[in-house]
Amino acid sequence: MSIEFFLDGRAVSAEPGQTILEVATANGFKIPTLCRENRISRTTSCFVCVVRDKKSGRFLPSCSACPAPGQEIEVTSPEVLDMRRTALNLLLSEHTGDCEAPCTLACPAHASVEEYVRAGRKGNFLESLKIIKKRIPLPMSIGRVCPRFCEKECRRNVYGKPVAINEFKRLAADLFYDEYMEELPPETGKRVAIVGGGPAGLSAAYYLRLEGVAVTIFEAMPKAGGMIRYGIPEYRLPKSAVLDRELEHFTKLGVQFEFGRKLGDNLSLDELKQKFDAVVIAIGCWKASGMRCEGEELVTQGIDFLRGVIENDCHAANPGKVIVVGGGNTAMDCVRTSVRLGSGDVNCFYRRTEAEMPAEKIEIAEAREEGVKFHFLVAPVKVEKRGDKLVMTCRRMELGEPDASGRRKPVEIPGSDYEVEADTIIAAIGQSAAIPAGVPVSRFRTVEVQDGTLRIADNVYAAGDCVSGAATVVEGVASGRKAALEIVTALTGKEFPPEPTINVSRGKWQDLKKEDLVFLRDNVSEADREKLDFIPIEERKSTFHEVTSTMPKERVMKEGERCIECSCTDKHDCKLRSHAECAGCKTDAIKGGKLPVTYDTRHPLIIQDRGKCIRCGVCVKICKEVVNKTLLSPKKRGFYTYVGTAFDKGFPASCGECGECINACPVGALDWRNKE
Amino acid sequence: MSDAKIKKFRVGVASCGVAAGADAVLELLSARATVPVEGTGCLGHCYAEPLVEAVLEDGKSVFYGNVKADEKSIENILNLGEEGRFEVPALRKAIEKVKVLALAGRINPTDFDDYVAHGGYAGLRKALTMRPEEVVNEVKISGLRGRGGGGFPTGNKWSFLAAKQADEKIVICNADEGDPGAFMDRSLMESAPHQVLEGMLIAAHATGATKLFIYCRAEYPMAIKHLKIAIDQIYEHKLNHVDGRELEIIVKEGAGAFVCGEETALIASLEGGRGTPRFRPPFPTDKGWKGYPTMINNVETFGNVPLILNEGGAKFAEVGTEGSKGTKLFALAGDLKYPGLVEVPMGTTIAQIVFDIGGADRDSVKAVQTGGPSGGCIPAELFDTPVDYDSLKKLGAIMGSGGMIVIGRNRCMVETARYFLSFTHRESCGKCTFCRVGTTRMFEILERITAGKGTEEDLALLEELGPKVRAGSLCGLGQTAPNPVLATLRYYRHEYEAHVKDHCCEALECKALVDLFLDQSKCVKCKLCIKSCPVGAISDNFVIDNAKCTRCNSCAAVCPKHAIRRVKKGSN
Repeated sequence: MSIEFFLDGRAVSAEPGQTILEVATANGFKIPTLCRENRISRTTSCFVCVVRDKKSGRFLPSCSACPAPGQEIEVTSPEVLDMRRTALNLLLSEHTGDCEAPCTLACPAHASVEEYVRAGRKGNFLESLKIIKKRIPLPMSIGRVCPRFCEKECRRNVYGKPVAINEFKRLAADLFYDEYMEELPPETGKRVAIVGGGPAGLSAAYYLRLEGVAVTIFEAMPKAGGMIRYGIPEYRLPKSAVLDRELEHFTKLGVQFEFGRKLGDNLSLDELKQKFDAVVIAIGCWKASGMRCEGEELVTQGIDFLRGVIENDCHAANPGKVIVVGGGNTAMDCVRTSVRLGSGDVNCFYRRTEAEMPAEKIEIAEAREEGVKFHFLVAPVKVEKRGDKLVMTCRRMELGEPDASGRRKPVEIPGSDYEVEADTIIAAIGQSAAIPAGVPVSRFRTVEVQDGTLRIADNVYAAGDCVSGAATVVEGVASGRKAALEIVTALTGKEFPPEPTINVSRGKWQDLKKEDLVFLRDNVSEADREKLDFIPIEERKSTFHEVTSTMPKERVMKEGERCIECSCTDKHDCKLRSHAECAGCKTDAIKGGKLPVTYDTRHPLIIQDRGKCIRCGVCVKICKEVVNKTLLSPKKRGFYTYVGTAFDKGFPASCGECGECINACPVGALDWRNKE
Repeated sequence: MSDAKIKKFRVGVASCGVAAGADAVLELLSARATVPVEGTGCLGHCYAEPLVEAVLEDGKSVFYGNVKADEKSIENILNLGEEGRFEVPALRKAIEKVKVLALAGRINPTDFDDYVAHGGYAGLRKALTMRPEEVVNEVKISGLRGRGGGGFPTGNKWSFLAAKQADEKIVICNADEGDPGAFMDRSLMESAPHQVLEGMLIAAHATGATKLFIYCRAEYPMAIKHLKIAIDQIYEHKLNHVDGRELEIIVKEGAGAFVCGEETALIASLEGGRGTPRFRPPFPTDKGWKGYPTMINNVETFGNVPLILNEGGAKFAEVGTEGSKGTKLFALAGDLKYPGLVEVPMGTTIAQIVFDIGGADRDSVKAVQTGGPSGGCIPAELFDTPVDYDSLKKLGAIMGSGGMIVIGRNRCMVETARYFLSFTHRESCGKCTFCRVGTTRMFEILERITAGKGTEEDLALLEELGPKVRAGSLCGLGQTAPNPVLATLRYYRHEYEAHVKDHCCEALECKALVDLFLDQSKCVKCKLCIKSCPVGAISDNFVIDNAKCTRCNSCAAVCPKHAIRRVKKGSN
């Protein structure tokens, strides 16, 4: 005799003994649950599967409640969804772990750092390169010039120096770049025009080609590369030995280049829109910001200075005494280039202190090694020409309140003006996009795109620095890839899964101690970080030779042994993560204390990570009711409840490693240790 | 001096008496007295323990309270001296109606014959002359409702089990009294164990039960000992032979988990598993201990049953209110003069219990907490409320098992709620997400607020989580754990807001929000405060360094001039 009742107003029928969840699932409703596992008796613990009895307003765990005749059950009412979201938020609030490794989350391109470091550690740098190129199509360049966002968040910072992640990219690319040829799918017949052959444009081209889209890059300059060719000095990124080799690959992939084509000059956007299925504007930030002081026309712009030297094959006149104004990476490129051109007196003027300098610390240190002098808390007020010398009037500054960027704002000290003399003054203050007419401009003087996308309008997209403002190469390639995927979806309907937004984190490494980390691998190396080999300082100061050499394979492999492998073993199929994602949860919606990190890796194959356990008890019952062993049991009470083994002695010899508990665990609390 | 002749002495040696030193009194009195001296149970006057009763030949009694185990005190008692005599306060006498506790403190709990001599097992004998359904009906007529807190009509529960056909039927006495501050069941089991067992045997006859369990927390060693002695006596007198069935009566000692007071968790524990509740239905009467039909009643419920049989259900129902019949035991504790155990008719007002019986000062009482950590507070303004299941529920409180904690005006309600949550969040079995994590998050918020670090978002989150924890928990623990918070938020929201917005604890109880202030104009420079301070926070010129001070209040307690007091932090 079946029971007739209603799910969200729809009449359904249940056999006696059937739960609401079973009937709902059979009728196409998707009710999330973490603790229901069909082979065991009910645990009724997660309360993620709640539904509501319309009449009484009572919430019922649908995994256990059986319907009553005529009962009206709400499956997707706002109250039910809210209750589920709260249950998941509560579970997230006690969850400890790193869903994704911090290095990957820090990487603008979201490269699978842990995976390519692991492949490299095992000596498989071809595999490493394949993983890298899923997100970073310019590994040879980025492997040299990346500011290493990943390393700044590396958990090894908790005790010692971060893993030298970027060396993996550099070595993998140096070893196998020419050898590795991507498999291209059949052509889709779609064609995309890309304006600008810098990192963003190249990246967009690469990922479009991987989806079978034909690509033509229109480049204003005579060669491709954009800022990595014309902005980054030879000593950091050799042009013919490295960049040309890297860009050759794009031609092999079938990317067409048209050089000397500049938008708004000899290239019409309307024409591109007509001729191509989509257009990507990736024109970068090539307009230097002025010094905004009297006599600024006497000053050389940093990016023009660098480009001039590069275009002239590193040959240029000795600039004499040099003053570079600015504290960013371009300023560092300018001072170090000046040193190499023979100037014996190179000075960097910055209006805040070293702590606030946006330049990479390593760049500042290397500049100092090369003899550059730094002058802090000074700003230019006036530049004038006196004879064949330039004279800059400077004003001393002091630090005031923090500004919007969080850095303390420089405040002028009245009456502190003084003059300095120089042969060359270079402004490296900042860059912006020179946006041609017909392209919408945002209030930040960047290309305006639609919220959350890189689409401007119609079939026109934008990517890279011209959207974000001057940024790094890796941010450029990330942006280019995003544009490519959006275009592929628009042109072919192919969907790409979005990056997960649920990323539980152990916290910032600055707040952690070594005990807070989980060491999944045995024998994580305790050695110090491998050091880069530099060419001799005299060679650095007098030539444009690459400053560092690629680290040898053996040392990079050894460095890889230092990786802790922070990400969760279950990151791809954790039910808590996927349900939380669907329910619109936030990992910090409910804040509160978490249990101290306790995990068990005494078993050679299995990890038990208590911080990830949701105490659903499924593993306990699987072992008892399905495997007919009782190796796991809940211990303690309340918030401190955990699942443990007898006398906390770890899995006994009687454990047959059948993996049932691991397969049943909805999260990564019980898992195989070996990540592949 | 009196000429009356002493027949025997009774010394209250239930746990409360023993804690106050009654064992030594009993020993010394036994050594000195020429008449019999017997240990008895609890009379409910905790504040007067150790209590000695001199039973006179003429049937009257003289009581001595707060008796010391010294020669002088004992001599005084032996001579029926006037000193230290104890009388039940007249107000209490007028209100109290001692029925269930009639034998407590009147008999020797381990003496079978004494119980029988006082009418014990008459109820069982009568029940055995009746058909089971007649017994069930009598209990239904009595209107008895579950005394453990749920208030489910007992007769109905019995009829469910009686209707079951099964090889085994189980009756369980829930003696896992876990509420902090509640000791009704302990006292009854210690003082009159046979009364509880008699109720169970009557239930066995009425329902056809084959096996009886008493699930008693292991922290009640005396209750367990007395029950086991009583069970042996029952076996000896074959009182466990009911309707041709030889009933097994088993005392199971619980390991002290609060959640095991919940019936499905209790059954799991009784089966040898971890004490965690499960989803109902199936209800225990359908599928309980090892799958057999099972009925669970509380100690006090069983304690009422012999009375119902003795006087008849109709007579029993004469006492009490429309929906709540009979009397109720309350364990009075907190800020009052006469803490102890009282038995009053259902419908007695809270004011009568707290002020007239408990002797609490009318001006200094802020509220009362009923139902322990599962209950809610009732503000003094509402003390005219009669104590019955339905009236209390309307106020957002519950009858609970009978704990009644009086909260003085010098108590902070946020701190009170924090205290109860500190208990429940640790006692959760950890199974349901809302209970395990939700109560912990609520507790953390209360910790923040009492530490002066709470925000208005915290208050909003408390109000959001409270109802969700109630709605999203399997058992009574989680379903009631938010009650102390929600009830205090309902009646004392201003106190929460003062903590959050003004960092002010009106009651000056939250340490993080108060300073200690020494009023120089009252100070007599006796230096007692300086000597008492454990951290050296008081200078030689009698100024308190609040940066060092731990707010332990030792100085204020020793100051003969009351020159030291708590003030709002930063106000002096």
